[in-house]
Amino acid sequence: MVFSRLFFLYLFFPICIVVYAAVGNIKNKNTVLVIFSLIFYAWGEPVYVLLMLLSAVINYSAGLLIDRFRGRKLDGFTTFAAVFYNLLMLVIFKYSGFIVENINAVFSADFHVPELQLPIGISFYTFQTISYIIDCHWETVKPQKKFKNFLLYLSLFPQLIAGPIVRYSTIEGEIENRKTTSADLAYGLNRLILGLSKKVLLANQLSIIVDDILGGIENASFVGAWYGAAVYALQIYFDFSGYSDMAIGMGRIFGFHFDENFNHPFICKDITEFWQRWHISLSTFFRDYLLYIPIFGKRRKYGGLFLVWLCTGIWHGASWNFIIWGLYYGLFVFLEMKIGKKRMKKIPVVIRQIYSKIVIVIGFGIFYFEDLGQLGTFFKTIFGFGGNGFIRLTEKISVVNNMYLLIIAVICCFPILAGIKKITEKSFPAKTVVSFATTFASAALLILSSIMLVDATTNPFLYFRF
Amino acid sequence: MTDNNNENSIDIKIESKRKLSSRRKRVLVNHYMRIINIFVISLVFIAGFVYLLVFERETVSNEENRNLAKFPEFSIASYLSGDYTEGIAEYYDDTVHNRSKIKEFISSKLLPLKGKKYGEDEITLYGSGFENQEEDETEPTTEPVTTEPPTTEPVETSTDASAVTAASTTTAETTTTTTTTTVPDNNNPAADGEIANNIVVANNRGLMLYGGSFKNGLEYASYVNAYKEQLGDSVNVYSMVCPTAVSYYMPENYLDLTASEKDNIDNINSGLVNVTPIDVYNTLLLHKSEDIYSRTDHHWQPLGAYYAAQAFAEAAGVPFADLSEYETITLTGYVGTLYGYTKSDALLNNPEDFVYYKPLTNTITTRYTTAFTDPYEDSLLLDPQYMSNSSYYMVFGGDGQITHVATECTNGRTLVIFKDSYGNALLPVLTSSFENIYLCDVRYFDINAISFIQEVGATDLLFAMNTFSATGDNYKYIEENRTK
Repeated sequence: MVFSRLFFLYLFFPICIVVYAAVGNIKNKNTVLVIFSLIFYAWGEPVYVLLMLLSAVINYSAGLLIDRFRGRKLDGFTTFAAVFYNLLMLVIFKYSGFIVENINAVFSADFHVPELQLPIGISFYTFQTISYIIDCHWETVKPQKKFKNFLLYLSLFPQLIAGPIVRYSTIEGEIENRKTTSADLAYGLNRLILGLSKKVLLANQLSIIVDDILGGIENASFVGAWYGAAVYALQIYFDFSGYSDMAIGMGRIFGFHFDENFNHPFICKDITEFWQRWHISLSTFFRDYLLYIPIFGKRRKYGGLFLVWLCTGIWHGASWNFIIWGLYYGLFVFLEMKIGKKRMKKIPVVIRQIYSKIVIVIGFGIFYFEDLGQLGTFFKTIFGFGGNGFIRLTEKISVVNNMYLLIIAVICCFPILAGIKKITEKSFPAKTVVSFATTFASAALLILSSIMLVDATTNPFLYFRF
Repeated sequence: MTDNNNENSIDIKIESKRKLSSRRKRVLVNHYMRIINIFVISLVFIAGFVYLLVFERETVSNEENRNLAKFPEFSIASYLSGDYTEGIAEYYDDTVHNRSKIKEFISSKLLPLKGKKYGEDEITLYGSGFENQEEDETEPTTEPVTTEPPTTEPVETSTDASAVTAASTTTAETTTTTTTTTVPDNNNPAADGEIANNIVVANNRGLMLYGGSFKNGLEYASYVNAYKEQLGDSVNVYSMVCPTAVSYYMPENYLDLTASEKDNIDNINSGLVNVTPIDVYNTLLLHKSEDIYSRTDHHWQPLGAYYAAQAFAEAAGVPFADLSEYETITLTGYVGTLYGYTKSDALLNNPEDFVYYKPLTNTITTRYTTAFTDPYEDSLLLDPQYMSNSSYYMVFGGDGQITHVATECTNGRTLVIFKDSYGNALLPVLTSSFENIYLCDVRYFDINAISFIQEVGATDLLFAMNTFSATGDNYKYIEENRTK
């Protein structure tokens, strides 16, 4: 089930809130959330819900065993075994087809290529369980004693299938001790609507342009390739950050405080900063867990860096373009490290802004084309060797036909809401006006998004496939 | 001093109370603002809940020509595959009360907010067009072998540069076809391979952009030739490849967005052997100023079909009735398939008349299944007052059937038409020309075509379809039907 559909917004979610509010204590509330979360997941994955439950049982048990074996070798063994299990599940369900295909290609073999359907959200919840296990091992968190509570952490529907990758430590204290204040409820609802609007009003509409331009990359001009890739960057941003907004908003409605996953990434001045602002929960996951693996010896700094970016790419999908995409970013982060922070800062901001946007736009082009032949065409075109001229008439028409949409999308990349909040924070009348305007803007956006959903035949979130 | 001090201290206390009271007020106002916020948004959610659950649900989408989702039937298999639960969500999403009106609102009020229409012709592009596409590996034959030039000067040529340019263009050709699937799907033009994903709306008219394919065109010709070869001299075989509105109404400055239908038709005709091509392109060019094509639908208007049928009748040497011998019926407020695909406000807000012609002579119409079984008598044209949707199909019916019409004509000629939905409009205007007419859709034909043609004693065989079918995927059915 996706958040951006009428059935979820006006049936599933309201019913969940009403039942959640109606039951008395926190234990019952948690039971309600677990039940609704399982229904939510089973709605799209009636079979793979068992895989998720199995993962919950194994990781819950592993957490308890790690605690029990504390200080003994079995602690490390259990940690390793649990992490291995989690990664194995991910490899089997997400990468087995890709691995066998490549083995067949390299060794001219003819092994049967498994065609397993990817369980929704497996990349997200697997990383949550891995972080939990390692945190237990490092004693960063205490293992959860109650299975229901652990299941709640893993299956909590706002963040179950497309993140953010919520650490157990983030919500550990809130599982049995939380309340929803009126401020939480108001914030949560407004944030939910903001995310929905990003998805429905911006991402869905931008996707039409992307399909037209990048979908026919063979016919795109030089400007068209840049235009298509730039619009795709915007689409992905509003799609994914919209989902994160909805997740964070819904979490807050239930009293949970999830960490931010995006922080206006396109205002970055370099690629290192971009990744501090984009999909933050994934970047910090790799930073905190993968860089610690001492497999590169003294060269850990750079070896670990490329390992992180290789994994970042692979995490996004079982396809070569994602691997190229990850290493591509790794290369620029590496170069920026080599140049050094001080010297980077000496470069004029305008140049850094242009440099980072060029790298990001090309990066999203790589992200789009899973077909390497098409990716090659994209590269040729975007560097001016495509043979379709500087700009096509259709691309001009597309820009004019979507002019206001594009302008609004670009404006929404800047931290305008945060800016307004900062300016009006100290003036009570201004704050009141903003608060009033927020109410009616939210209501209007909700109505508008709902109307647009009547016409949306398909609008799955892009990150569902990861 | 002390007094003064005391006074001062009282002042401070008063000010402090005031500050406190002001702070409390602010906290209270903030609290109330949040309550209002929650209340207003909750109201929208409650309204949505009631709207989605209580109000009457829609069952049919006229503008999309489809039945809306039905509540799924439960089975273990459908549950385990996720289809059942997904079907429930789909049911609620798809059948919203007043869905059509909401979609109209989106089309006319919301989507135009995305940007401006382009240029003087107010162009809106849906799709990416076929500009600058690579040339097909098969070059067009420069000299059409069998196409007859128009016998009279086209009326519009001197004033309409676009049509002339379209007619003389020999540029872009492509290996890409715009069709989407080969799976027959009645009343779904996109799935039927008749409609392009690339549509331009210019001057309140929807135009499908044509990709074309010389290679496919020659293959189409070879498939039609095979019928002639197998049927021999006893059956006259004709090929009528119908251009679409893009050939006549594309604004001059945007001709590069589409391939030339004229060149593709000429290419097809160059490949025909002992098959008579019907020159619909030039025939319709003479009547460009009349309403020969729908502005809002991907079909031609019945008037366009009438002129095409006239050209065919001349080529076949059969009589042809004047329009005065038909009853003219006009349906107003027609918004066709192109609106369904583009949601264009320009099309929605500018409906058109749908004018068709009902023969005054007696006819006996029999419908069969696609396997030529289970006959039942029916009317030649459907009565649109009993149809809920306004489309080309409401008069001419769907495609998934074989139709036989016995006419008052006594020339002993029996015509079999293999067509796409463009051919449906030919049937009524050929009732004065042939004694028997069998109308079959190439996509929905479940028996051997040659046996069928021989069984019904055909003297004439007409392949009638638009350019998208003839060079898209649909032409392949011609060969499939011959060899099945």
